[in-house]
Amino acid sequence: MLAKEPSQGSQLRARLDRALGPLGEAMNAGHIYVQLARLEKAGLITREGTAGSSDRPDRKVYILTPAGHGRVSEWLSEVSWPKPDLAEFHLKLIAAAAAGLADPISIVDMQRRELLRRLRDAQRTAMAEPDRSDAGLLLEGIALRLQADLRWLEACERIWTDRRRK
Amino acid sequence: MNEPEKVLVRARGLRKEYGSGEGLVRAVDEVDLEIARGETLSIMGPSGCGKSTLLHLLGGLDRPSAGELWLAGRRVDHLSERALAQLRRHEVGFVFQAYHLMDELTAQENVELPALLAGRSPGEARRRARQLLDQVGVGERADHLPSALSGGQRQRVAIARALANEPQLVLADEPTGNLDSTATLEVLRLFEALHAAGLTLVIVTHDERIAATADRLISMRDGAFVDETRLVGGTRKNLADLAGLRAE
Amino acid sequence: MGRLLLVCRLAVKDLRHRPAQAMLLLLAIAAGAATLTLGFSLRGTTDNPYARTRAATNGPDVVATVFPGNSNASGPAAAVKPGGSNAPGTAGASGAEAAPLAPLEHASGVVAHSGPFPVTWTLLQKGHTTGSAEVEGRSSESSSVDHPKLTQGTWVRPGGVVVEAAFASALGIHVGDRLSLGGTSFEVTGTAVTAAIPAYPGVCGRPIGCFLVGNISSYNPGLVWATQADAEQIAGTSGPEAYLLNLKLNDRAEAHAFANRYDNNASLSAPTLYAWQDIRDGDAQVIAKVQKVLFTGSWLLALLAVTSVAVLVGGRMTEQTRRVGLLKAVGGTPRFVAVVLLFEHVLVGLFAAGVGLLIGQLVAPLVDRPGAGLLGAPSAPSLTGTTVASVVAVALAVAIVATFVPAIRAARQSTVAALEDSARQPRRSAAVISLSGHLPAPLLLGARLVVRRPRRLLLSTFSVAVTTSGLVAVLIIHATSATWSLGPQVIQATTIISVMLIVLAAINAVFIAWTTALEARHPAALARALGATPEQITTGLSVAFLPPALLGALLGIPGGIGIYDGTRSGGGTTTLPSALWLVAMVLMTLLVIAVLTAIPTRIGARRPVAEVLQAEAA
Repeated sequence: MLAKEPSQGSQLRARLDRALGPLGEAMNAGHIYVQLARLEKAGLITREGTAGSSDRPDRKVYILTPAGHGRVSEWLSEVSWPKPDLAEFHLKLIAAAAAGLADPISIVDMQRRELLRRLRDAQRTAMAEPDRSDAGLLLEGIALRLQADLRWLEACERIWTDRRRK
Repeated sequence: MNEPEKVLVRARGLRKEYGSGEGLVRAVDEVDLEIARGETLSIMGPSGCGKSTLLHLLGGLDRPSAGELWLAGRRVDHLSERALAQLRRHEVGFVFQAYHLMDELTAQENVELPALLAGRSPGEARRRARQLLDQVGVGERADHLPSALSGGQRQRVAIARALANEPQLVLADEPTGNLDSTATLEVLRLFEALHAAGLTLVIVTHDERIAATADRLISMRDGAFVDETRLVGGTRKNLADLAGLRAE
Repeated sequence: MGRLLLVCRLAVKDLRHRPAQAMLLLLAIAAGAATLTLGFSLRGTTDNPYARTRAATNGPDVVATVFPGNSNASGPAAAVKPGGSNAPGTAGASGAEAAPLAPLEHASGVVAHSGPFPVTWTLLQKGHTTGSAEVEGRSSESSSVDHPKLTQGTWVRPGGVVVEAAFASALGIHVGDRLSLGGTSFEVTGTAVTAAIPAYPGVCGRPIGCFLVGNISSYNPGLVWATQADAEQIAGTSGPEAYLLNLKLNDRAEAHAFANRYDNNASLSAPTLYAWQDIRDGDAQVIAKVQKVLFTGSWLLALLAVTSVAVLVGGRMTEQTRRVGLLKAVGGTPRFVAVVLLFEHVLVGLFAAGVGLLIGQLVAPLVDRPGAGLLGAPSAPSLTGTTVASVVAVALAVAIVATFVPAIRAARQSTVAALEDSARQPRRSAAVISLSGHLPAPLLLGARLVVRRPRRLLLSTFSVAVTTSGLVAVLIIHATSATWSLGPQVIQATTIISVMLIVLAAINAVFIAWTTALEARHPAALARALGATPEQITTGLSVAFLPPALLGALLGIPGGIGIYDGTRSGGGTTTLPSALWLVAMVLMTLLVIAVLTAIPTRIGARRPVAEVLQAEAA
């Protein structure tokens, strides 16, 4: 966002809020400024003093450095994607079955319930957002990934049930 | 009975069988079910598990082989076809998986039909149909024949038709089966609105997203219920996690 | 060759798969074929009996008649002595009245004669039965030319009369009965046949017709012989109305020439002659009328058969397009399906033609007996090549015409369209849809369901119209000829045709209702899912068939008039049946249609909705 223009901390915060919507509320205010400090330390942004020489972080104006610009370009052209993290759950089921500690199917069911609840929340939240908003799009992504995970859980349930039958 | 019953639908030992002897198939196997007024219930399961059959039984479109079924306090499993038809006229709206719109009627005429059959005047039926079509988002295509509508639009006309006579109970069989995610979202919104208006909804689906809108989720396999989940919300924090926003 | 065999196999298999439909089709076409065969077989059936009667009675070659009542006193009152070989006692009639006939007795070419005999027309009464009679005065001894052959009893005597055999059987007169002629009572001493005058009911079919003085009665007269004295007594003071003279020529073939030579149309008091061929034709006329009824009837039946086939084919073509997918595996296309269908119906048509020919042959002797008025049985009608060819041609034509249009349509259809089942798209009638919105639920549903296939509605109207046309024509026949009755054979023929028309039309009505109900299963189930009761659906469907039936019945009235006008010979007025009859017919039609369509429309009305919907979706 700084690539566009130098901004104050509070402005940055406001923009993030808009982009993330209700999810943005989860982030506490301080978190942003911690991040900003880190970026400053890494030399990607610099601070500029304002007329009001107070030290309040939200009044400070941040500017992107040339290094910062470079980093932004890199970021935009990356194609890495967040990794799915299924291995843990998968091993959980196998371990439970092997050690006889728990019924894998009950584990799957429990997890399913949890994901369903989250899916419900995500959808509820999405519907409160205006159509085609940024926040709505993000929530859509969450919902779809939850759906994908749920499908995998159904497959797990099917396979493990079949195994048990045999 | 002055007060409307709290439990709208009650089923005990509901069974539906086809064939006999070696070829006996139990589509619905000893199902017990209670649905509260205003509740949204979704039924999930693999194909062939009997969920559509169950829905047909609940709507009086098919007769159970055994068991009892009550709707709004009235025993309905032994009603004549005539009485069942009257039931469908006022109490139950059905959204079919295959839509089953009449090919030779426009969208509007399709939605008017239940109202006309219930004895409403043509003008009233038309007004209501228009209103419903706008509500489902196909208002501009009201004068098109089904063959000129996309799958999603037909689906929505079918939903509108189910609502024509202001039923207490709406039974929907795979209502988003042929919809893309945008249309799905719109249908989701619609169902939420109906839920908020106090309608009782039973949705058969294999789409988790639709299932998640319900208050209660039942899983079916081989004609019987295998799981029941009450869906209560988590917190926003979880969602932020899922989005990849980590609070450190 | 292989493909032909395949077409055969498929056609036969398809027919076997639906035996009931094939049978009904067969019936419909066979009915028309049988009637046609009957019609053809009647030709010439009276030739033999006439000849036999002629031989047995020494029938005349020429008959001469005078009507003296219309003349001034003419000619010398010569005692007319018959010339040539004649038995004693055949003294001619009294006086000058018969004088104009005298010269003919000795004309060149005449080898024998009998008469002149007095003839009078009068009212006949036996018990409660009234009729009219042409009374011919004879001597109690037999004449040389035209001595009527007794079939029962004895010849005339004073106070005793002989009735012509066909007349007697028509009116139920037996030997020993008493009847009154012109007020005087007589005993019936016998029944006989003659070749000098056409048998009842063709008596007035002679070239001279009948002479009913002052409209004695409206009944078709039959021949009665009495003694000359009795005849003159019956004639009363005004005397006999006519005298007739029977002549035998040396060369039969000259009869027409002879008659023309001496025929004098100047006045009725001069002799009027006709030849033996005219008598024979007069006998044949009755049969000719029957033939006409049968031919017209068979046309109507053929039309009904076409309707039956068309309804069935129409219903099946829409199913057949679904089989296209299967047949494509053997290299089939919609065109192939059409060919198979055509072939099936050609097979049925051929078979039906055979059945019809057989039935026609078997029934012919029953129908075309020339009646009691001629001797002997008619020659067994042989199936001429023409008959067979015509009947087969008609049967095939019915099968092809009805299958033609849907078959062509199917053949032209692209395979893609066939697979998409676009032929099954029901027609949309915006007018009916918007109008029916104002009707109560059953009618709303009925109208919309029935209008989905307008061609079938048309066929329904057509079928009823054809049937009522036939019935109206029959009613007209009865109304017009109350004054001039047609005799038992024609009545028999019209009854047969009427019954067959009604039966075929009923079958059609059931067919149409059945195919409509079958096809309407899905939308009907849907309507029930939306709240319509099964009763509403069946009532609606039944009632929806009434307006086309009404239209058909109303169209049948001018249709029947047209048929009658188009097929009757000669002039004369057409009497319309009374309005009461017509109204009754229309109402009966509606009632019958309502009853017939009530049952098929119940098909599947009570099956659980889900079953029907899923079956259709499959």
